[in-house]
Amino acid sequence: MTAIPAAERALRRSGAWMAVALVLVAGVYVRALVFTPEEATQGLAQKIFYIHAPSAWVAFLACGIVGVCSLLYLFLKDARLDLLAASSAEVGTVFLTTVLVTGPIWGKTIWGAWWTWDARLTLTLFLWFICLGYLVLRGAVDEPGRRARYSAVLGILGALLVPFIHVSVLLFRTLHPKPVVLQTSRPQLPGSMLLTLLLSFTVFTIFFVALLVRRYSWARLRDAQAQSQAES
Amino acid sequence: MPPANGGYMIAAYVAAAVIYLSYSAWLLWRSRGR
Repeated sequence: MTAIPAAERALRRSGAWMAVALVLVAGVYVRALVFTPEEATQGLAQKIFYIHAPSAWVAFLACGIVGVCSLLYLFLKDARLDLLAASSAEVGTVFLTTVLVTGPIWGKTIWGAWWTWDARLTLTLFLWFICLGYLVLRGAVDEPGRRARYSAVLGILGALLVPFIHVSVLLFRTLHPKPVVLQTSRPQLPGSMLLTLLLSFTVFTIFFVALLVRRYSWARLRDAQAQSQAES
Repeated sequence: MPPANGGYMIAAYVAAAVIYLSYSAWLLWRSRGR
Protein backbone atom coordinates (compact mmCIF):
# COMPACT_ATOMS: atom_id res chain seq x y z
CA MET A 1 0.00 0.00 0.00
CA THR A 2 1.51 3.36 -1.00
CA ALA A 3 -1.15 5.58 0.55
CA ILE A 4 -0.03 4.91 4.12
CA PRO A 5 3.53 6.29 3.82
CA ALA A 6 1.93 9.34 2.16
CA ALA A 7 -0.45 9.73 5.12
CA GLU A 8 2.48 9.32 7.53
CA ARG A 9 4.43 12.02 5.72
CA ALA A 10 1.38 14.30 5.69
CA LEU A 11 0.88 13.72 9.42
CA ARG A 12 4.53 14.54 10.18
CA ARG A 13 4.45 17.72 8.10
CA SER A 14 1.04 18.83 9.36
CA GLY A 15 2.46 19.66 12.81
CA ALA A 16 4.75 22.26 11.26
CA TRP A 17 1.90 23.59 9.11
CA MET A 18 -0.31 23.90 12.17
CA ALA A 19 2.43 25.86 13.95
CA VAL A 20 2.83 28.19 10.95
CA ALA A 21 -0.95 28.63 10.73
CA LEU A 22 -1.20 29.48 14.44
CA VAL A 23 1.55 32.11 14.05
CA LEU A 24 -0.41 33.56 11.11
CA VAL A 25 -3.59 33.62 13.24
CA ALA A 26 -1.61 35.46 15.92
CA GLY A 27 -0.58 37.90 13.19
CA VAL A 28 -4.25 38.48 12.33
CA TYR A 29 -4.92 39.19 16.02
CA VAL A 30 -2.16 41.84 16.08
CA ARG A 31 -3.29 43.36 12.78
CA ALA A 32 -6.96 43.49 13.89
CA LEU A 33 -6.40 44.66 17.47
CA VAL A 34 -3.50 47.10 16.99
CA PHE A 35 -3.30 48.22 13.37
CA THR A 36 -6.97 48.40 12.31
CA PRO A 37 -8.91 51.58 13.11
CA GLU A 38 -11.82 51.61 15.54
CA GLU A 39 -15.24 51.83 13.91
CA ALA A 40 -17.07 55.10 14.68
CA THR A 41 -20.50 53.82 15.78
CA GLN A 42 -19.87 50.29 17.13
CA GLY A 43 -16.56 51.00 18.85
CA LEU A 44 -13.97 48.30 19.54
CA ALA A 45 -16.56 45.50 19.58
CA GLN A 46 -16.79 45.84 15.78
CA LYS A 47 -13.38 44.14 15.64
CA ILE A 48 -15.07 40.87 16.69
CA PHE A 49 -16.15 40.81 13.04
CA TYR A 50 -12.55 40.00 11.97
CA ILE A 51 -12.65 36.64 13.73
CA HIS A 52 -16.40 35.95 13.61
CA ALA A 53 -16.95 36.27 9.84
CA PRO A 54 -13.83 34.28 8.76
CA SER A 55 -14.72 31.54 11.28
CA ALA A 56 -18.20 31.41 9.74
CA TRP A 57 -16.73 31.21 6.22
CA VAL A 58 -14.47 28.31 7.26
CA ALA A 59 -17.32 26.53 9.07
CA PHE A 60 -19.50 26.75 5.95
CA LEU A 61 -16.60 25.67 3.73
CA ALA A 62 -16.10 22.67 6.01
CA CYS A 63 -19.80 21.79 5.82
CA GLY A 64 -19.63 22.15 2.03
CA ILE A 65 -16.72 19.68 1.94
CA VAL A 66 -18.73 17.31 4.15
CA GLY A 67 -21.70 17.56 1.77
CA VAL A 68 -19.68 17.02 -1.43
CA CYS A 69 -17.59 14.16 0.02
CA SER A 70 -20.72 12.52 1.46
CA LEU A 71 -22.56 12.73 -1.84
CA LEU A 72 -19.57 11.30 -3.72
CA TYR A 73 -19.21 8.57 -1.10
CA LEU A 74 -22.75 7.34 -1.71
CA PHE A 75 -21.88 6.83 -5.41
CA LEU A 76 -18.23 5.75 -5.26
CA LYS A 77 -18.11 3.98 -1.86
CA ASP A 78 -14.51 5.15 -1.40
CA ALA A 79 -13.61 5.11 2.32
CA ARG A 80 -11.23 8.07 1.84
CA LEU A 81 -14.21 10.30 1.02
CA ASP A 82 -15.91 9.21 4.23
CA LEU A 83 -12.77 9.95 6.26
CA LEU A 84 -12.36 13.36 4.63
CA ALA A 85 -16.01 14.19 5.36
CA ALA A 86 -15.62 13.09 8.99
CA SER A 87 -12.41 15.12 9.40
CA SER A 88 -13.96 18.20 7.84
CA ALA A 89 -17.06 17.85 10.06
CA GLU A 90 -14.98 17.72 13.24
CA VAL A 91 -12.79 20.71 12.32
CA GLY A 92 -15.81 22.61 10.99
CA THR A 93 -17.66 22.09 14.27
CA VAL A 94 -14.80 23.83 16.08
CA PHE A 95 -15.05 26.86 13.80
CA LEU A 96 -18.85 26.86 14.07
CA THR A 97 -18.54 26.81 17.87
CA THR A 98 -16.36 29.93 17.64
CA VAL A 99 -19.02 31.59 15.48
CA LEU A 100 -21.70 30.82 18.08
CA VAL A 101 -19.52 32.07 20.94
CA THR A 102 -18.19 35.29 19.39
CA GLY A 103 -21.51 36.31 17.77
CA PRO A 104 -23.47 36.65 21.03
CA ILE A 105 -20.60 38.61 22.64
CA TRP A 106 -20.89 41.14 19.81
CA GLY A 107 -24.71 40.99 20.01
CA LYS A 108 -24.73 41.77 23.73
CA THR A 109 -22.97 45.09 23.33
CA ILE A 110 -24.45 46.14 19.94
CA TRP A 111 -28.01 44.75 20.16
CA GLY A 112 -28.23 44.67 23.94
CA ALA A 113 -29.03 40.93 23.90
CA TRP A 114 -26.85 37.82 23.85
CA TRP A 115 -29.23 35.99 21.57
CA THR A 116 -32.27 36.53 19.40
CA TRP A 117 -34.24 33.91 17.46
CA ASP A 118 -33.37 35.59 14.20
CA ALA A 119 -33.35 33.41 11.04
CA ARG A 120 -29.57 33.35 10.58
CA LEU A 121 -28.76 32.74 14.24
CA THR A 122 -31.37 30.02 14.56
CA LEU A 123 -30.30 28.22 11.37
CA THR A 124 -26.65 28.41 12.44
CA LEU A 125 -27.56 26.88 15.81
CA PHE A 126 -29.45 24.10 14.01
CA LEU A 127 -26.39 23.47 11.81
CA TRP A 128 -24.28 23.18 14.98
CA PHE A 129 -26.74 20.60 16.36
CA ILE A 130 -26.52 18.66 13.08
CA CYS A 131 -22.70 18.75 13.28
CA LEU A 132 -22.81 17.43 16.85
CA GLY A 133 -25.32 14.77 15.78
CA TYR A 134 -23.01 13.79 12.92
CA LEU A 135 -20.05 13.34 15.30
CA VAL A 136 -22.15 11.43 17.86
CA LEU A 137 -23.54 9.19 15.10
CA ARG A 138 -20.03 8.32 13.93
CA GLY A 139 -19.08 7.38 17.45
CA ALA A 140 -22.19 5.24 17.92
CA VAL A 141 -22.02 2.99 14.82
CA ASP A 142 -19.17 0.45 14.81
CA GLU A 143 -19.56 -1.15 11.39
CA PRO A 144 -17.57 1.11 8.99
CA GLY A 145 -19.83 0.70 5.94
CA ARG A 146 -23.03 1.48 7.82
CA ARG A 147 -21.36 4.34 9.73
CA ALA A 148 -20.19 5.90 6.46
CA ARG A 149 -23.61 5.53 4.80
CA TYR A 150 -25.62 6.94 7.72
CA SER A 151 -23.26 9.83 8.30
CA ALA A 152 -23.13 10.62 4.56
CA VAL A 153 -26.90 11.14 4.55
CA LEU A 154 -26.73 13.37 7.62
CA GLY A 155 -23.72 15.23 6.16
CA ILE A 156 -25.64 16.04 2.97
CA LEU A 157 -28.66 17.27 4.97
CA GLY A 158 -26.41 19.49 7.10
CA ALA A 159 -24.65 20.95 4.05
CA LEU A 160 -28.04 21.82 2.54
CA LEU A 161 -28.53 24.30 5.40
CA VAL A 162 -25.46 26.35 4.42
CA PRO A 163 -26.93 28.19 1.38
CA PHE A 164 -30.08 28.93 3.43
CA ILE A 165 -27.95 30.43 6.19
CA HIS A 166 -26.08 32.55 3.63
CA VAL A 167 -29.23 34.01 2.05
CA SER A 168 -31.26 34.12 5.28
CA VAL A 169 -30.35 37.78 5.89
CA LEU A 170 -31.65 38.66 2.43
CA LEU A 171 -34.80 36.51 2.51
CA PHE A 172 -36.03 37.34 6.00
CA ARG A 173 -36.31 40.42 8.19
CA THR A 174 -33.38 39.71 10.47
CA LEU A 175 -31.30 41.58 12.99
CA HIS A 176 -28.08 40.05 11.68
CA PRO A 177 -26.09 42.50 9.51
CA LYS A 178 -26.21 42.03 5.73
CA PRO A 179 -23.03 41.07 3.80
CA VAL A 180 -20.57 43.96 3.56
CA VAL A 181 -18.10 42.36 1.15
CA LEU A 182 -19.95 39.68 -0.87
CA GLN A 183 -22.42 41.95 -2.64
CA THR A 184 -23.04 43.22 -6.13
CA SER A 185 -21.88 46.80 -5.40
CA ARG A 186 -18.46 47.72 -3.99
CA PRO A 187 -17.60 46.46 -0.48
CA GLN A 188 -18.87 48.87 2.20
CA LEU A 189 -15.66 48.84 4.21
CA PRO A 190 -12.76 51.31 4.31
CA GLY A 191 -9.55 49.93 2.76
CA SER A 192 -7.69 49.20 6.01
CA MET A 193 -10.65 47.28 7.48
CA LEU A 194 -11.20 45.40 4.23
CA LEU A 195 -7.52 44.43 4.14
CA THR A 196 -7.70 43.07 7.71
CA LEU A 197 -10.85 41.13 6.86
CA LEU A 198 -9.41 39.61 3.66
CA LEU A 199 -6.18 38.76 5.49
CA SER A 200 -8.21 37.07 8.21
CA PHE A 201 -10.26 35.09 5.68
CA THR A 202 -7.04 33.86 4.03
CA VAL A 203 -5.29 32.97 7.29
CA PHE A 204 -8.31 31.20 8.78
CA THR A 205 -8.62 29.16 5.57
CA ILE A 206 -4.93 28.16 5.83
CA PHE A 207 -5.48 27.26 9.51
CA PHE A 208 -8.47 25.12 8.55
CA VAL A 209 -6.51 23.30 5.83
CA ALA A 210 -3.65 22.59 8.28
CA LEU A 211 -6.08 21.15 10.86
CA LEU A 212 -7.94 19.20 8.18
CA VAL A 213 -4.73 17.63 6.80
CA ARG A 214 -3.70 16.63 10.32
CA ARG A 215 -7.11 15.17 11.17
CA TYR A 216 -7.48 13.37 7.83
CA SER A 217 -4.00 11.84 7.71
CA TRP A 218 -4.43 10.64 11.30
CA ALA A 219 -7.81 9.09 10.37
CA ARG A 220 -6.21 7.35 7.34
CA LEU A 221 -3.48 5.85 9.49
CA ARG A 222 -5.95 4.73 12.15
CA ASP A 223 -8.15 3.19 9.48
CA ALA A 224 -5.21 1.32 7.92
CA GLN A 225 -4.12 0.08 11.34
CA ALA A 226 -7.63 -1.19 12.14
CA GLN A 227 -7.78 -2.93 8.75
CA SER A 228 -4.44 -4.70 9.19
CA GLN A 229 -5.46 -5.78 12.71
CA ALA A 230 -8.72 -7.18 11.34
CA GLU A 231 -6.84 -9.07 8.61
CA SER A 232 -4.21 -10.59 10.94
CA MET B 1 -18.05 59.09 20.42
CA PRO B 2 -17.98 55.28 19.97
CA PRO B 3 -19.22 53.15 22.89
CA ALA B 4 -16.63 51.87 25.37
CA ASN B 5 -16.95 48.13 24.70
CA GLY B 6 -13.33 47.01 24.47
CA GLY B 7 -14.03 44.37 27.15
CA TYR B 8 -16.42 42.56 24.81
CA MET B 9 -13.81 42.63 22.05
CA ILE B 10 -11.17 41.15 24.35
CA ALA B 11 -13.63 38.50 25.61
CA ALA B 12 -14.43 37.39 22.04
CA TYR B 13 -10.77 37.26 20.97
CA VAL B 14 -9.79 35.33 24.11
CA ALA B 15 -12.71 32.90 23.70
CA ALA B 16 -11.76 32.22 20.05
CA ALA B 17 -8.09 31.72 21.01
CA VAL B 18 -9.07 29.29 23.78
CA ILE B 19 -11.28 27.26 21.41
CA TYR B 20 -8.70 27.08 18.60
CA LEU B 21 -5.70 26.40 20.84
CA SER B 22 -7.59 23.76 22.84
CA TYR B 23 -8.68 21.92 19.71
CA SER B 24 -5.20 22.15 18.13
CA ALA B 25 -3.62 20.75 21.31
CA TRP B 26 -6.23 17.98 21.54
CA LEU B 27 -5.74 17.04 17.89
CA LEU B 28 -1.94 16.98 18.27
CA TRP B 29 -2.22 14.91 21.46
CA ARG B 30 -4.61 12.37 19.88
CA SER B 31 -2.48 11.94 16.76
CA ARG B 32 0.94 11.95 18.46
CA GLY B 33 3.42 9.19 17.64
CA ARG B 34 1.42 7.86 14.68
